Amino acid sequence: MTVRILAMAVLALALSGTAARAADPRYPNWPCTQAKVPEISLAAVWAGPALDDVQNKWKDDTKVSALVSKLSARKTPLDEAEKSVKEFLAGSGADKAANAKLLFAGLFDTLNAQRSQVMIGLERVSRKQREAADNIREESVQLQALQGATPRDDAKVDALSNELIWKTRIFEDRHKVVRFVCEVPTTIDQRLFALGRLIQQEME
Amino acid sequence: MSRMWRVGLLSGLALTAAPAHAFIAYVSNEKSNTVSVIDTESWTVTKTIKVGQRPRGIDFTRDGKFVMVAVGDDDTIQMIDAKSQTVVDSLPSGPDPELFAQDAAGKILYVANENDNTVTVIDLEKRARLGDIQVGVEPEGMTISPDGKTLINTSETTNMAHFIDTSSRQIVANVLVDARPRFAEFKHDASELWISSEIGGTVSIIDPGKHEVIGKVNFEIPGLRKEAIQPVGIGMTRDDKTAFIALGPANRIAVVDTATRKVMKYLLVGQRVWHMAFTPDEKYLLTTNGVSNDVSVIDVAAQKVIKTIQVGELPWGITIAP
Repeated sequence: MTVRILAMAVLALALSGTAARAADPRYPNWPCTQAKVPEISLAAVWAGPALDDVQNKWKDDTKVSALVSKLSARKTPLDEAEKSVKEFLAGSGADKAANAKLLFAGLFDTLNAQRSQVMIGLERVSRKQREAADNIREESVQLQALQGATPRDDAKVDALSNELIWKTRIFEDRHKVVRFVCEVPTTIDQRLFALGRLIQQEME
Repeated sequence: MSRMWRVGLLSGLALTAAPAHAFIAYVSNEKSNTVSVIDTESWTVTKTIKVGQRPRGIDFTRDGKFVMVAVGDDDTIQMIDAKSQTVVDSLPSGPDPELFAQDAAGKILYVANENDNTVTVIDLEKRARLGDIQVGVEPEGMTISPDGKTLINTSETTNMAHFIDTSSRQIVANVLVDARPRFAEFKHDASELWISSEIGGTVSIIDPGKHEVIGKVNFEIPGLRKEAIQPVGIGMTRDDKTAFIALGPANRIAVVDTATRKVMKYLLVGQRVWHMAFTPDEKYLLTTNGVSNDVSVIDVAAQKVIKTIQVGELPWGITIAP
């Protein structure tokens, strides 16, 4: 009985997931209510000087690339990251403007890549979840058949019930994790914007 | 002589040392269900007030004693006492109030209720509902003409600005604007009505006498897709010479010369910039930035962003004590 309720809950979940996915037909596997924006455009976060001459040069500057890794890490609190930006630029002397551009270019590339990785992961999990939902749906039909059969094979019923409970639990846990991870692209946007804005202010 | 010198010196000192007038700004945070109180002298949040669910439209009463905040998911407008900075009462709006406007005397409040296509009329002194006006689908932007005779309400779905006679409470004209009109603002001399269209990406300028669109402000930011430019909030300087327009996910405020109707400058503020308010001395303009969860402070004369203040989650509206 519990299993049947669970299975129905899962079905409802899976169905609501499908409805949410239909929101943007371009991204059928996108599991989040937040709209999928595949890339952050430079102009949305940067109103400073053109970065055409920077390209990948930030990677060749060991100091800048090390700072980029530190600032891009989510474990670095934002206020600490902001402090590091200020210190780095304050200590840059005549290279301040050039360093500011290098640093921002590095952050832009790195955080955009980090964001893409998260989104790819979300879509992969979303595909897996759909498969899991299909599987749970099938097995709950099987279970119903087993329960109604005469003679009834209690050992089989128990085994399949347990399996279904287990699978349902995994499904629900993943569902919760997905909802949590859906916030991550926005968190990355916020970090990139906040650091970019600070760098521009420091350049003025 | 020496005394005059001393007086001169003192007044000189006073001039340089005098702090800018301190004002109090209230910001509604749509997601955290709070209102942040900002002191404009220290530029810090001095208090966070818990309010109802989904606070959006926010405005001071004309006497400066209360702050009204529309809490859409609670279907009401709450009144915050500006002295105690706590919620003390509520007003009877319709379902899902989003934005409202009050007449010049501060006696009548008009509330746009997003869910039932009406504007509720409220007597602010008695805090009682006077009636409803049927308007277009999903009423959104609200403003009143400087003479108080015309209420403007924009409808998100029908893309119209409704002109409502405040005495008869009847719609007297409809003007079609671009897709999803969000906000309406009169010039102080009442010669023009500006309406932002979030999806259309424009601001329509209407002759309020003829009920005709007489011009448009267009926006272009190199490197940004057109859909990322979504005009919402509008702020007009008292001399009507400069308009500031919030461009949503373009993360910028456009500074517009109202004579040429051209953008003079774009200021990068915060993510998803939505609404704004001037300090009463018009030295500063404060904008709410929904995704970066902060408020930007713009020096109006210098047309420069000078400060960022972290507030609650999804800051939406802002009002500053008169």
